[in-house]
Amino acid sequence: MKILTHKQEICTGCRACELACSQAYFRTDNRLKSSIRINNNFNTFHAIMCTQCGECINMCTANAIYRDKNGVVRIDKKKCVGCLGCVGFCSELSMFYSDDEPVPFKCIACGICVKACPEGALEILVSKS
Amino acid sequence: MITVNTRENPWREGLTVQALLDEMGFIFRHIIVRVNGEFVPEEAYAQRQIADGDDVQVMHLIAGG
Amino acid sequence: MGKILKQIKYTPAKIHRGYSNKSLYINVGDLRVEEKEVTEFMKEKFVGGKGFDLWYLWHAVTPETRWDSPENEIVMSVGPLGGITQYSGTGKTLVCAISPLTGIPIDSNTGGYFGPLLKFSGWDALELQGKAEKDLIIFIDGNEGLISIEEGEEYPEDSHLLAEELTAHFAGSEEDKVHVSVVSSGSAAKHILMGMLNFSFYDPRRKTVRFKQAARGGLGTIMRDKHIKALVVKYKGIKPNLNDPADLAAINRIGVKYHKEVHDLDEKQNTMRKIGTANTILVMNKYDLLPTRNFQTGGDPEAVKISPEVFINQYLTQGIHDGCWYGCTMSCAKAADHFKLLTGPYAGLCVTVDGPEYECAAGLGANLGIFDPQAILEQNFYCDTYGIDLISYATTVAFIMECYEREQIGPEHTGGLDLRFGNAQASLELMHQMSRGEGFGLLAGLGVRRLKSIFVERFGADPKLLEDIGMENKGLEYSEYLHKESLAQQGGFALTNKGPQHDEAWLIFMDMVNNQIPSFEDKAYALYYYPMFRTWFGLCGLCKLPWNDIVPADNYKTDTPAKVPEHVQNYVDIFNAVTGKHIDKDELIRQSERVYNFQRVFNIRMGSGLRQHDRPPYRSLGPATAEEYLSRQERYDKQLRELQGLDPSRMTLDEKLAATRAYREKQFELLTDAVYERRGWTKNGVPTPEHLKEIGMDLPMLLEVVEKHL
Repeated sequence: MKILTHKQEICTGCRACELACSQAYFRTDNRLKSSIRINNNFNTFHAIMCTQCGECINMCTANAIYRDKNGVVRIDKKKCVGCLGCVGFCSELSMFYSDDEPVPFKCIACGICVKACPEGALEILVSKS
Repeated sequence: MITVNTRENPWREGLTVQALLDEMGFIFRHIIVRVNGEFVPEEAYAQRQIADGDDVQVMHLIAGG
Repeated sequence: MGKILKQIKYTPAKIHRGYSNKSLYINVGDLRVEEKEVTEFMKEKFVGGKGFDLWYLWHAVTPETRWDSPENEIVMSVGPLGGITQYSGTGKTLVCAISPLTGIPIDSNTGGYFGPLLKFSGWDALELQGKAEKDLIIFIDGNEGLISIEEGEEYPEDSHLLAEELTAHFAGSEEDKVHVSVVSSGSAAKHILMGMLNFSFYDPRRKTVRFKQAARGGLGTIMRDKHIKALVVKYKGIKPNLNDPADLAAINRIGVKYHKEVHDLDEKQNTMRKIGTANTILVMNKYDLLPTRNFQTGGDPEAVKISPEVFINQYLTQGIHDGCWYGCTMSCAKAADHFKLLTGPYAGLCVTVDGPEYECAAGLGANLGIFDPQAILEQNFYCDTYGIDLISYATTVAFIMECYEREQIGPEHTGGLDLRFGNAQASLELMHQMSRGEGFGLLAGLGVRRLKSIFVERFGADPKLLEDIGMENKGLEYSEYLHKESLAQQGGFALTNKGPQHDEAWLIFMDMVNNQIPSFEDKAYALYYYPMFRTWFGLCGLCKLPWNDIVPADNYKTDTPAKVPEHVQNYVDIFNAVTGKHIDKDELIRQSERVYNFQRVFNIRMGSGLRQHDRPPYRSLGPATAEEYLSRQERYDKQLRELQGLDPSRMTLDEKLAATRAYREKQFELLTDAVYERRGWTKNGVPTPEHLKEIGMDLPMLLEVVEKHL
């Protein structure tokens, strides 16, 4: 299983990760289209991103969410009907949508933001379970 | 004597909101309780005492169909 | 696959602001297929859904039309909001026709994918007129732009087989099955007057076809009389913007807010995601509202055997999505998987049973004195696959069972079936007889109104008793709530357009428990506002449940928590976001009022819809028998003292029954006066020309009807 993790104590809140993500997937520098979001809480930086818990899989009203062979929770864009149920049901608030995208988006632990982080605050953990 | 949903109802010392709900058979979960107009949250049902003369409203939201 | 009788290519109309602006007319008698324009007038006055259905139906029929006349139409429409995916409960199809049970328009709403897929195939509404000689299948392919009418003789009749076969056939592959929806009835529908329609959706997790029902009023009976075996629609490509809404961002925002509410609050509120509407079985039992043994009492200690927990723990698959349209996170369409049937032609088969919904558990359970979850689910399955409306069935069989126990009818009339309360095997056999078209099942399938006359005229039963205990109004059987102690709900059932179904108003808690609407004026307002508000769901293609089976956490702070103001605003905002119009919550009610009054006048045109037709059976109003009085004697004696100043200790039981009856019947008449006045109707229940003008419905066609009754 692959999960993106974030080290709060190292993060400076530069948001390079957000831009790397939105650039990679939507060709835009727009943090509202990033699947990782850094929130500034009195100068400690908290990252919101998918924990790959999979709660959204069974609740999906179109049966469009699944866990791939790496244990990453993914959305099948062909099946998704854009109901945004998963957005409302995500306990981590890490399922995102944009009004100009037909389907929601989430972190798939691709590692692009890890490479973009100048501080090394992000890491992809790989576990066997 | 107290009133429950504008009808008279007997009162006793130590009567709590929860005890009243139990006595009335109000098992529906989707309710709003007010004592003398003041909202009582569900967590407080067991502690909230009802005094003699209080006006209790137990509003059941619509069920059915 | 049957021989193709006719095929037509068409260009699917583009949807704009919720409408395709086209409707489809098919005459199954001469195989005419026509396209009609949906006019601005129709949208302005009737909105869509049930409004469009009634508009087309009015023009199709005459006052002489009967349910089995070729010109009677089955009309269906999903409404302008139907098919959006971002909010819960947005896939409802409304179906109308002249009912075999009532002789007036019936409207029935159902989930399942048919209506939305029909609209996205280019059709705001579908009219089915005429009568075929042999069974037909009508297939609409919304991607290809193809309408095909095919022979359907060789297909099975029962829905679980028929829909499975048609879905597989027209989908062509497992992954395309979700894009197909089938409307079908079942083998019983051609033998009974209470036949219903199943609307399918394919469940890709269970890999089975599932159903919701347009159940009320005999729509399945009409469909089989027309020799339509099934309607099939196929449309691939559901996306959130197919309605071409004016403001997609608003719909997204409101949808996410709502989904979050369900996620955070359902567990604390009605647990719809676990058990669906059956969550209230024990609540109804506790509040004396669960109709038991033909509405004699409101509960039974045995009801614990059919508690929500029993169904959750032993039968209903938990933890997966169960919606009857995309985006419904309320997810109340529960199902029992791997359910082994014990009786009938499918004994031994393991099936998925859709349900039980509350009405099913209350009707096929408590009201028949059957407190056995296995028997409830088995009856549920057979009602569905045979095409039987389980509410009419339950209320009819409850009536039969009481007649049997009171020796008004006997085994010599029932063909030996021992139709006592609690006899699940006898009920199941009766259902199988309906399917086979034989025995006492043929009589039972006629419904309560006709059975009252038959039992009196042919079997010598007591007419007065049967009038009192036969729970029908306008010919439609009551749905499953005991409501004797709620005057407002007595009106909520009887002062309706189609007959006693709770989808117009459910006021029992507000009235009986909360004591929120004590005066006649209060009750009349509730019987104005709620039926109008709830009619609106049927105009737009929406489900009622997401309105108030979950409420925002701060709903209690509002002035009118029973209305759930934030959700009303959601609906106003979504309507505007889809259609680009600018309605407010008052115009929402007005939109309904136009159609509601149109339907009332339609009833009058068909020879019903007047005060005399709104009178309920006495059991709806109070204790009709000594047993009922005695079972709640303390309550009724107290009422004699407090409401009438009588001394029950000096009265015989007969005197107490008579005094209670006189009082309650009078109360109902006073309620009727107040409600008619609030609705803008005469004392005879006729909408006045002034009222029709005020709501913008002073159409010559309506004025012509009402003027004869002023």
